[in-house]
Parts: sequence; C-alpha cells; structure tokens
Amino acid sequence: MNTLFPLGLPAATAFYLCLYLATLVVHLIFMHYVLAGSIYLAFGRLMGRARCQACSWQAILVDWLPFATGLAITAGVGPLLFVQILYGREFATANLLLSHRWMAILPVLIVCFYLLYLQKSAWIARRAWAWRSVVAAIACAGFLFIAWSWTENHLLMLDQAAWPGIYAAGSLRYESAAVLPRLAAWCFLAFPSLAIELAWQGRLLDRLDEPAAAGMQVLGLSPVRRLAVTALCGWAGTLLASWAYWPSIPDAARAAITGPLGGPWLAVVAVGLVIQIASWGGAFFSDRLARGQLIVMTAAWVATLLGVAVVRETIRLAAVDLAIGGQLHQQALGIGGLPVFLVFAVLNAVAIGWCIRTVRGQVTTGSEG
Amino acid sequence: MTPLDHYPTIDLGPLMKGLVIGGLGIFHVFLAQFAIGGGMLLCYLQWRHMQGVCRLARRFTDDYFKLLVLVSFVLGAVTGVAMWFTSIQISPRTIGTMVHEFHWVWATEWTFFCLEVVAGYLFYRYGPRLPDRTRLQLLVLYAFASWMSLFWINGILSWQLTPGGWLENHNVWAGFFNPGFLPSLIFRTISAAAIAALAACTLVNAVPGFTREERQSLVAVCARPLVFMLAMPLVGAWYLGTMPADSRGWATGGSVPMTLFLTMAVGSSTLIGLYAVLAILRQRLYVNGATASLLLALAFVATAGGEFVREGVRKPFTIREYLYSNSIARDGVADLRRRGSTTDDPYPLRDQADYPNEQLVLGAKVFRAQCSVCHTLDGMNAIAELAATWSIDQRRLNIAQLQRTKPFMPPFAGTPAEVEAIVQLIGWRHAGRPADWALSEDPAVLAQIERWLEEAGTGPGNARLALGARRQ
Repeated sequence: MNTLFPLGLPAATAFYLCLYLATLVVHLIFMHYVLAGSIYLAFGRLMGRARCQACSWQAILVDWLPFATGLAITAGVGPLLFVQILYGREFATANLLLSHRWMAILPVLIVCFYLLYLQKSAWIARRAWAWRSVVAAIACAGFLFIAWSWTENHLLMLDQAAWPGIYAAGSLRYESAAVLPRLAAWCFLAFPSLAIELAWQGRLLDRLDEPAAAGMQVLGLSPVRRLAVTALCGWAGTLLASWAYWPSIPDAARAAITGPLGGPWLAVVAVGLVIQIASWGGAFFSDRLARGQLIVMTAAWVATLLGVAVVRETIRLAAVDLAIGGQLHQQALGIGGLPVFLVFAVLNAVAIGWCIRTVRGQVTTGSEG
Repeated sequence: MTPLDHYPTIDLGPLMKGLVIGGLGIFHVFLAQFAIGGGMLLCYLQWRHMQGVCRLARRFTDDYFKLLVLVSFVLGAVTGVAMWFTSIQISPRTIGTMVHEFHWVWATEWTFFCLEVVAGYLFYRYGPRLPDRTRLQLLVLYAFASWMSLFWINGILSWQLTPGGWLENHNVWAGFFNPGFLPSLIFRTISAAAIAALAACTLVNAVPGFTREERQSLVAVCARPLVFMLAMPLVGAWYLGTMPADSRGWATGGSVPMTLFLTMAVGSSTLIGLYAVLAILRQRLYVNGATASLLLALAFVATAGGEFVREGVRKPFTIREYLYSNSIARDGVADLRRRGSTTDDPYPLRDQADYPNEQLVLGAKVFRAQCSVCHTLDGMNAIAELAATWSIDQRRLNIAQLQRTKPFMPPFAGTPAEVEAIVQLIGWRHAGRPADWALSEDPAVLAQIERWLEEAGTGPGNARLALGARRQ
C-alpha cells in the first residue's frame, strides 16, 4: 500500500472501494444536514420563541429535515450495500457483537423521524414553546445516539482482536479511547456541511439575498454571518476533535494516512479546508455571500468530504486483511448485473432531474391545476 | 464456498430467532405492498379526476398521499433497513450470500428507491399546487419506481426457494428469473393493489369533510382494484406449482403449521375477495370505517399467513439446495462430519463456567452452531422439550439422522463426538443441570453413532423423499 489510493490496490477491491466512497459521500451530504440540523435546532430552541422565529435557518430546517432524513436513509442504502461486499465479515461481526444495542438505532430512528414531522405540524404550533424545545431535544438526542452507535460499530469492525473477548463478556458495548473524539470529529464536521447546504437552500428559496435587516438578526448576527459562524465553529471543533482522535489511531494506520496511500488525500482535505475557512471568513466580514463564492466553497466542500472519506478508509485498510477480502471482491466483480445497474442509475438520475426541474419550474411560475 | 463461517451468535432468550425476523418481515411486506399498491391507486384516481368522472379524486389523492408518506416513507423505509440488519443478526451468512450474488440487482433497486423518494416527496410537498398533468406524471413515476423495487426484490426472494438454473451455472439472471419469479410477482402485485384499496376505503371514512354520498362514490372508485383478487386462486396455484414437490407437500398437508398458515392466508383472502366482489363492487354497498378496518386487518392476516408459508417451506434450506437454515453449506456437510462443526469456532461460551465438563461445553457449542437459529434450549421450540420423551439411544439416532427424523431438518454436520455431546447436553438439562455430570466416551456408542451418520448420508431428507417417489 505504497501507492496513491486506490491505485495500488487489487482492481476489484479498488473498484468497489470507489463505488463505496462515491455513495458514502452522497449519504454524508444528507446525513450531515440531518445530524447538524437537529443539533442546530435543539440548541436554537433554547434561545426562545422570538429569536427562533426571526431565524430563517431554523424555519428552513423545521420544514426540510423530514425530507432530508428520508434522503439520508435512502442514500445510505448504497454504501450499506457496498460495505458488505468489501468488509462483509467485519461488518456483520460488529453488528452481532453490539447486538440489541446496535439494533436499537432502528426504533430510535423511527421515533426521531416522526418527531421531525411533529415539529412542523400545526398541532405542535398550538402548544407551549417548551414542547417544541422538548421535541427538538429528543430528536437531537436520538440522532446523536445513532451517530454514537455507528462510530462504535465502525471502530469495532477494525479491532478484530477484541471480538472474542467482547462476545464472552456479552457487554453489547465497545469501549475505546477512540470512540468519543471520533464521534465528536464527525459531529463537528457536519456543521460546515450544514452551513453550505443552508446557504444553497436560502439562495434557492430566495432568503439569502434579503438585506440583513434588524428583524433578521439573531444575537446580533445577520443570516450570512450566522452561517459563517456555524461553519467556522464546526471546523474548529473538527480540528480539535481530530487532534484528540489522532493518538488513538494505530501506528500502521497513521503511517498509511501520512504516507503515499492517504497523504495526497489528506492534502486535498487541507486545501479544501483552507478554501472554506477563507471563504467563510470573507463572507463574515463582508456580510455577503456571492454565488461564485458559494460555488467555489461547494467544490472545496465536496473535495474535502471525499478526502475525509478516503482518509477514513485508509485507516480501515490498514486494519483488515485484504488477502481474504480481495478474492471475494474478485468473485463479486465476476457476477453479472453491472450494466443493468449502470443503465438504470443513469435513467433514474435523469428522471429525478426531470422531476425536480419540472416541479421547480411550475411552482415558481405559479401555475395552478 | 466454506462449509461454515463462524460468527458471534445473538441470544434472544426464550424467543425463536425465526419469529423475530418473520414478524418484522410480515410487517415490512405489508407496509411495502401498501406503498406499491398506493402508488398505482393514486395514478388511477388522478386519471379518473382528469377524465372528469370523479371530481373528489384530486382532493382524496392529496389526503391519501399524506398517509402514504407518514406510513410508508418512515415506517416502510426504516423497516426495510431493519430487515437487512435483522437478517445479519439472525443469519449473516444467508444475507451475505444474497448480497454477494445479487449486489447489482440490489444496487439497481436502490436507484429506484431514490426515484421513488424524490418523486413522492415532490408530490407530497408541491402536489396541491401543480397542474393535473404534472401531478399524474409524478404519480406515474412514483408508482413505477415503487413497483420496480418489488420487481427486483421479488427476484431475489423467489430465488431463495426456487433457484432454478443458478444452481448449475451461478448466473445471476438464471437465478433472478427463476421458476417462482413471475407467479410471485403477479401475486404480490395483486396483493399490493388489494391492500391499497382497503387502506383507501378506511381512509375515506377517516378523513373529515366528505358527505356520506361523497364517501360512497369514493369507496366505489377506490375498491375497484379489488376485482383483481379474482385472479388470486389461479396465480396462487401457479406459484404452488413452481415450488419443489416437498415444499408444496408441507404447505398442502405435510406440515400442520404450514397448512394452517396457508389456510389462514387463503381463507382471509377469500373472505376479502367475496365481500369486495359481491358486496362492494356488485351491489355497491357502502363500506364504513369499521368494516374497512376489519377487511384491512384480514388482509394483514392473509399477508402474515402467506409470508410465513413462503419462509417456512424453504426448510431445511435458506437457499434451496445450497445453504441450510443453520448457514451450513450443503456441500460442506461431509467436511464438517470429519472436522467437526466447532473446531474453528473462535468464540467462547458466555456461560462456560456453568458446565460441569468439557463434553457439555462442546454440546453447547454444537447447539449454538447448528441448532440455535431455529431452536432455543428452554424457550420456544426448545430442543430439550422436543426430545423430552426420547430415550438416550433414540436421541443419538434421531440427531445423527436428523434429516430422516424430520425432513425439514438439515443433516447433522458434525462428528460422532459432537452428536454425543449434544445428546449429553439435553440429558443434563433434563436432569436439572446438576453440578456433576459424567463424561460419555464409550467407543461402542461413538461407533454406533458413526454408523448411523453414514447411513443417513450428508444430503438433505428431501433427496430421500424424491428418491422414494421415483421408485414408486
């Protein structure tokens, strides 16, 4: 593994890894919106009714979080499929070891999903403000529990030596110094994503170009500045948590991250990070976010997510035995069906694009049936 | 293919693992069929509205879609993921094989999920503000995508019972378009249409703002897809005909639980069909909320019965002629008879200290590897209970020749010492788990078990049934 990812890997493994990472990044885009959005909303509710009502970002989140959750779940099916091709034994074992605790994410997800719908219902709007805070807090706690469970599951996959001991103990938990900082790093990383996604939503919903009038200010910050603060705090938290996570990464994995395999991707992350921080800094001071600036920032953001996903994978590749998995990947690649998938992926992507374009065109022109 | 992959096993206490996944599966299938049928019904309603023959259809379509989103997009989607995770918990090797063999089919299905969610949510959010033509286009895309998700998953599920040519050439399309594919697809499509129609009849009565006459006219339109239930006996018989003979035999009298569940499914469907055709469609009777709910509950019973039979008649396999219910490869039994089923098991027992000797530890590990997916030690379908009246030699014989004892059991895939270990485990539990328990190592007993094992062979019991049928 002394070559740039994925070039030095067996062809079949590299192919599935690329598919996995591509689908994972799409999932992250929606998952970050849901995770950071629910935290943003839960803490925002604590500012009181007047400030919340003045914050257009919170209104957007209340409105769109249920759909984003549906998209995050649907987008999650792709990486869930490919992770089983790539690391089937490790993934299944980690699931089984965490057992009921792991399976608890499903009822929790259902409850959180319904709470998001409840948040935008007329029923809750008629209730005291405290109820909205409680609903937002429970949904946020639920999503954090799911994030924690995924973090534990992922780290347990990598720690094969611990499997028999954890099974014998029947503890249904994986305790490791890496869990908390890694979880924190991923949670904080969701905030820069949320800021960019909200910026696009605000632009598309025509809320970003409104002047930063007094009525739109919350805690003395305009909408653009609030997004900038969200993104910059998110990056600060991510860097701090990553710094705390670094010592718990095994030496071999650290060497892989900084070596030829992951090093260039780490550089991509660093460049993307610098561009985003500079852009958000500029937006904060100018109190303005131009379209071109947002496009550059978005490109840097997607590159950063891809880089982070590859670095994450580098750690895993250093922990698993590819000699066994590689044969299975080769066998899997020999199974028919890829052309059918590609054809329908393109056709359905076109159909999705058509749906969005048609509806957007008809809704904005205000035609009624 | 390795004979047996060792995974940590989950402990559900007195619950049978099969019941957990079966229960969740029934719930998910019902929701999924509601979503698929719902899409088709809404297309029909929107089209009727555009024809000018059902003025209420547009409003009702919006109401129905809200229900569809709240039920199907949330519960349906999450229980779909839950099915995947639960399958891993119960039988990681089965779901692993399915994913490995059909990952491109699953990936294709995923692209349709994406289209279904986007088209559906756009309709839910903007539908009331869109012109009729766009509404219909969105609904058609939504309905097509959801039906296509059925199309893809149906190929994989029917493959488990009737793998067809896949067994010879491992070609994905030979497995996908297996003998059970088409009847199963048609049957499920009719079921989906019926469930959606009954849900609509229930909703018509639950939504405020309609007069009695308006409700009656909506029920008359929404109930129309129920007429397709007339084809169910024919398609059902076709599906039964594609099943392997032994599986069909269990469903039609050979296994009391299977036959009962099939009767339950057929009986409930018949009642719904008769009421729908004679009362709702012919006499145009009004269906109130209570009746509609009762019919919907009957549809759930029919789904539960049908799914139970579909899962049950695969025994002793999870993938017919390829992988046994306990995740042991059919071709791997002979190897495990030599090496033992627990030799490579890296996982210790959680309660190892409770066993008085190593033979009982071995017995518990054999139980975990070969039996625990369907049996418990003391809870539901308990092995100790099933063997309670057997003498010790009967236990040895019945376990050594498991596939002959019950044809829906897989062959025992272990050494004579492992047979004796599990026999001793059952005896020890019957004796109240005493602190001391003598080892049973009589070479004559082990030699007799070995003879019994050889006599039964390493194939499934149904191979013997098929041989007997040919001789007749």
